[in-house]
Amino acid sequence: MSHDPFKKDHHLCTKMDEYHVEIPDFPMKSSRWERFINLLASPAKDPVDPFISTTGGVMLLKVAPIIGAAAIALIQALIFL
Amino acid sequence: MKLSEREDELMTAYQNGDDGALEGIYTLLKQSLYSFIFRYTRDEQLSIDIVQDTFVKLQRYKHNYNPRNGKLKSYLFQIAYRLMITKLNRRKKWRGLLPFLTPIQTEEFHHSDRMTIREAIAKLPELQRAVILLFYYHDMPQEEIAKILEIPTGTVKSRLHTAINRLKEELEGDENESRSL
Repeated sequence: MSHDPFKKDHHLCTKMDEYHVEIPDFPMKSSRWERFINLLASPAKDPVDPFISTTGGVMLLKVAPIIGAAAIALIQALIFL
Repeated sequence: MKLSEREDELMTAYQNGDDGALEGIYTLLKQSLYSFIFRYTRDEQLSIDIVQDTFVKLQRYKHNYNPRNGKLKSYLFQIAYRLMITKLNRRKKWRGLLPFLTPIQTEEFHHSDRMTIREAIAKLPELQRAVILLFYYHDMPQEEIAKILEIPTGTVKSRLHTAINRLKEELEGDENESRSL
């Protein structure tokens, strides 16, 4: 390598050095079962979260099951009557 | 004895049937592998999985390593980088299909806070991020980075300079902003 591009920039070096990583203790191998459990345990986004923040969204959440039930009832009525 | 020589010695012992040597390699290289993956992805569980998978691959293909082609550290970083990219691409696909699988970001950046180097690095494009992490935190020469990322050395050089300039801009811009407030 011809030169170190960080050499002249002490400020950036100081900032870069601030980034520490804590290394957790983990074994070399993990079972598939453990991985599956970790996957299940990892927190995921709430799919209805964006609806809760607006009044229209909350209304939609309340109305959606009624509309759904009405639609299913209509389909059943069309099939069986 | 230099650290890389110790790593090579352990690897040779492992290739010759000394299974205990693998534990030594793991102890020597686990930290740097984990910190590279973690700084790149900022995902603890994914980083652990990738380090473990890297060692599973090393065990499976232990005879593919030849010290003449490069250091053991670079060889493991190459395996880890490939695994990480494959996993991240697979994740992107799944999240496209099932957006509710997106995990909660535990370290979300708030604009009211001053930008730290963590956020500045996270904001870098993926290819520049890998170059700067390997160069600065893992003391790798540009030729080795080129091998790991499978790109020409010239590209490493240009990405490194672009990444440094971007980081400076991000950090200085943020400092100026906080000063004016």
